[in-house]
Amino acid sequence: MDFGFKISPSSAVNLDNVDLSLYDRLHEVEPDIAKCIACGSCSASCPAGRFSGMSMRKVILDLQRGRQKEAVKMLSGCMLCGKCLMVCPRGINTRHLILAICKLYGED
Amino acid sequence: MRERFLTGYNDFVLPFMIGMIFILSYCAIGLIRILKQLPKDDRRRFFISLVTPKTIVKNIRDIFCDCLLHVKIWKRNKLLGYMHSSIAFGWFMLIVIGHIEVFLYVPHRAKLFYYPIFFRYFVAETETTMKGAFFFFLMDFFLLLVLSGIFLAMFKRIRSRMFGMRRTTNPSFLDLIGLYSLWAIFPLRLLAEGFTADISGGSFLTKSLNHILNSFLSDHTNMLPAWWAYSCALGIFFVVLPFTRYMHIPTEILLIPLRNAGIKIRNARKGFAKAQVYSCPSCGLCIDACPMGVMKTHIKDTTVYLNRQLRRNNERRIEEISDKCLLCGKCTAICPVGVEGDKLRIAQRSMRKYAVNPDYSGIDTALLPVSPGLADPSVAADDKVLYFAGCMTALTPSISKAMESILVKAGVGYEFMDKEGGLCCGRPMMMAGRLDQARQMVEKNTEIIRRSGAKTLLLSCPICYRIFKEEYRLEGIEVVHHTVYIRRLIASGRLKVGKTGLSYVFHDPCELGRGCGIYDEPREVLLAAGNLVEASKNRKESICCGGSLGSITLGFDKRKSMTENALSNLTVASPDVIVTACPLCRSTFTRYADRPVEDIAETIDRNV
Amino acid sequence: MKENILIIGGGIAGLEAASQLLKLGYNPIIVERSGRLGGHVADWNRLFPDMTPAEEVVSRLVAGASEANIFLNTEISFINRLKDSYNVMLSNGVSIITKIMLFATGFSLFDASKKEEYGYGVYNQVMTNSDLERWFNTGHDCRITEEGPSAMGFVHCVGSRDEKARNSQCSKVCCITAVKQAIEMKQKFPDAMIYCFYMDLRMFGKKFEDFYISAQRDYGIRFIRGRVSEVSENIEGKLVVKAEDTLSGRPVKVTLDLLVLMSGIVCDHQTCRTAGMLSLPLDSDGFLKSRDNIADITASPKEGIFYAGACTGPKTVPETLAEARSAALEIHNHIISLSEELNSNSEGQ
Repeated sequence: MDFGFKISPSSAVNLDNVDLSLYDRLHEVEPDIAKCIACGSCSASCPAGRFSGMSMRKVILDLQRGRQKEAVKMLSGCMLCGKCLMVCPRGINTRHLILAICKLYGED
Repeated sequence: MRERFLTGYNDFVLPFMIGMIFILSYCAIGLIRILKQLPKDDRRRFFISLVTPKTIVKNIRDIFCDCLLHVKIWKRNKLLGYMHSSIAFGWFMLIVIGHIEVFLYVPHRAKLFYYPIFFRYFVAETETTMKGAFFFFLMDFFLLLVLSGIFLAMFKRIRSRMFGMRRTTNPSFLDLIGLYSLWAIFPLRLLAEGFTADISGGSFLTKSLNHILNSFLSDHTNMLPAWWAYSCALGIFFVVLPFTRYMHIPTEILLIPLRNAGIKIRNARKGFAKAQVYSCPSCGLCIDACPMGVMKTHIKDTTVYLNRQLRRNNERRIEEISDKCLLCGKCTAICPVGVEGDKLRIAQRSMRKYAVNPDYSGIDTALLPVSPGLADPSVAADDKVLYFAGCMTALTPSISKAMESILVKAGVGYEFMDKEGGLCCGRPMMMAGRLDQARQMVEKNTEIIRRSGAKTLLLSCPICYRIFKEEYRLEGIEVVHHTVYIRRLIASGRLKVGKTGLSYVFHDPCELGRGCGIYDEPREVLLAAGNLVEASKNRKESICCGGSLGSITLGFDKRKSMTENALSNLTVASPDVIVTACPLCRSTFTRYADRPVEDIAETIDRNV
Repeated sequence: MKENILIIGGGIAGLEAASQLLKLGYNPIIVERSGRLGGHVADWNRLFPDMTPAEEVVSRLVAGASEANIFLNTEISFINRLKDSYNVMLSNGVSIITKIMLFATGFSLFDASKKEEYGYGVYNQVMTNSDLERWFNTGHDCRITEEGPSAMGFVHCVGSRDEKARNSQCSKVCCITAVKQAIEMKQKFPDAMIYCFYMDLRMFGKKFEDFYISAQRDYGIRFIRGRVSEVSENIEGKLVVKAEDTLSGRPVKVTLDLLVLMSGIVCDHQTCRTAGMLSLPLDSDGFLKSRDNIADITASPKEGIFYAGACTGPKTVPETLAEARSAALEIHNHIISLSEELNSNSEGQ
């Protein structure tokens, strides 16, 4: 039935419905993912960011909020150069994290 | 000379024959399989190399030096070298002389495999002829040589430190069987020949033993059990050989010509990689060499254990070991048989399947223009240098600033390729084993470099330098690391460096030294600026700073002890300043060093 | 006879403790390695939140401790443990026998050149918080021109909350110091655009939040939630600072004339050495370990050795002073219990 207007899907993240089973597996492989304080150092120094919008901080946050699609899309620009690893104040092993995500999360 | 038995046969040769036939057919099948696994063009190249005179000579020389004389082990430790060459060369000579004797005395038996091995049993010779005495002596001499090696080998199991080895591998069960049967072969041979010496003749060793034996065991029937035991030891050794580390003896003979043919690892498990894995003698030299070894927990992640797990197809451990490695290449540099631990690991990583595959085809390189340099724009454009600082140098601006300052002072016209940010060179991606992705980055960067029209590409990061040198196709453009370039500027007089009273130690970055073979240029540069002292382990054996991007799984907290170990190695001669030529080494060392750490560009810029 | 009490460090904690101990009738001896009293606070210009001149605070404290024995330019050479006291040898040749020692050794500022990506010591326009305070005091610094910067930035958490800098602790006072310094700069150069790059703003103290509000509302200081990751120089020699504005989720790049790094508070190297002589333990954060981090912060695990101020962790000025007073009281109680013990022992005989 057409009412002449559409209800767009809510952009709110409903944490009750988020499926974190993949995230939990990722956390097992690289527990450092939980250490992020979202300072943005990684995103600021990322050479891929200007081309693909890659931001490690956003990837981590998106995965924690169950927004896998967005995270995976960003990762496809990553060059694995290791700058994020160098600047991270929390010493997160970002390269391992990225490879682990690339392995676990498909682009479905 | 007389043959003792007309048949020329006794049942005791059976264990030996079974073992021999088994190992020969095993090796033949293995050889065919490895050759079949090689990619077509590699196989062609291999066969061509087998008939090229130059490689033939090289093959023969390498096989003689490495497999028999073990020259590389001699260089490492004299005792260890003697142990290896006495066993290998002695045994080889025993076989060769055995064959010569058969050809000289009983040429009609030459088709029997076992004849040269058990010659003394079947043929009684006399000392009356000069030839007889000569061979008796030679055989005993080489037997003594082998026995001395075996004795050292036994001693090594108790005191490996005497042989320059702090840690060795834990042998597996089959390794132990192989080991004990190998140890048993030669004493048993001595015993057997000792029993026959009064019939078949012998020299100083066997004859003397015969006299002793005769004094309480005069019965000749004791002879047979000894020959049986000797044959059994040989048989057991040959049968277990394919399943032990001793498989390296036949495999190395294949590995050397493969390597000399210029073949590279193209498949993680097949062909050349397989030949390398089976060539590993499990000696454990890589355990002491590995920079991760400072923490006991990492000992089982060294190359020797990678090879063992690859032979067992233990996928979980293979992945663990491959991912942890720093790829510093030290195990490759010191390996006596030439197993390339770093390349083998990259190959394992490259097998992995990922669900997300980065793609850079959308990157428009027009958005990445080169920036003008700070130098006088009037400098002739034809010798224009393109400076690529790289990702890591963006985080250590002191290096790029010093490098630019040197270029300005020397009056070199240059352009800056990634001042406003650039693309990664691809080496970190390659180290992670994602070769297709790395290739894409190589192509994009090549576009930018080609468009700039530069004749020289200058790099201050050895990580970048290595991939630019190895993987980029930049014909007509010289790729040069800044250590080499600065040396050239000094040598040509464009850069005048003043000497300070400071003493410097140079840390060889893995990618620059072992990776690209640049050792002398940085030292020559530093000598122009002050005194040079050396680290306790340097050049080919320099210790990784611990910051390497090669390791995927090693976390930040696990690297501290490696860095501290590398620092204590560097500071044995108490230098005033630690100098390196890699941004990653520099920042890793700065974190824990008790004295200044700088890049060679900074040192020189300060003293111009 | 007056009891000797050795105070290591002539900063505000040492001075305040000395003046309290004098009032209680003891003989405090201050050993200070530099040539003047007041420690880090003496280098500062004005103190938050009321912009009190630091000099005022320090001179009041120095006056209060003037009766104490004070050795300047002196370090501790070695310490011998005697039966129930310590024999402390000073670098000037004086030896002191004491039952009580107070560590008021303070902290060190993180060496900002170790954060290579910020270019301290590499670029001419990068300075630290203490460099800026020195400029407030003296007016001399080649990095700040007469007309002032047209745009400048403060980088919070340099060497704090940073495992790479080997200091994962929050330095506590840099947030408010940055806000204070930003306001002061704005007062001096009203046309300057001032940015603060922060990870989290920790405005925990009295009137700190008011200060922060005033910085935003009255002075127009721009706060960007993102840690600076790279500093480079453009062709005109100006600084280009890269960070991520994490709240808008976009990378930001800004050209500045001046960058101030808020160097964090780290444990002093010399303090660790002296603590090592007495085999005093260090806590997991690298600072001296108290007997109890809640109930007994001023006592060390060793009898007769006390702590005051930033040697046990980053602290503000009022916290340090309060701790110095409490340490003085602890020492007083300890001495009383020692003499009571002595009396009961002699009665028992």
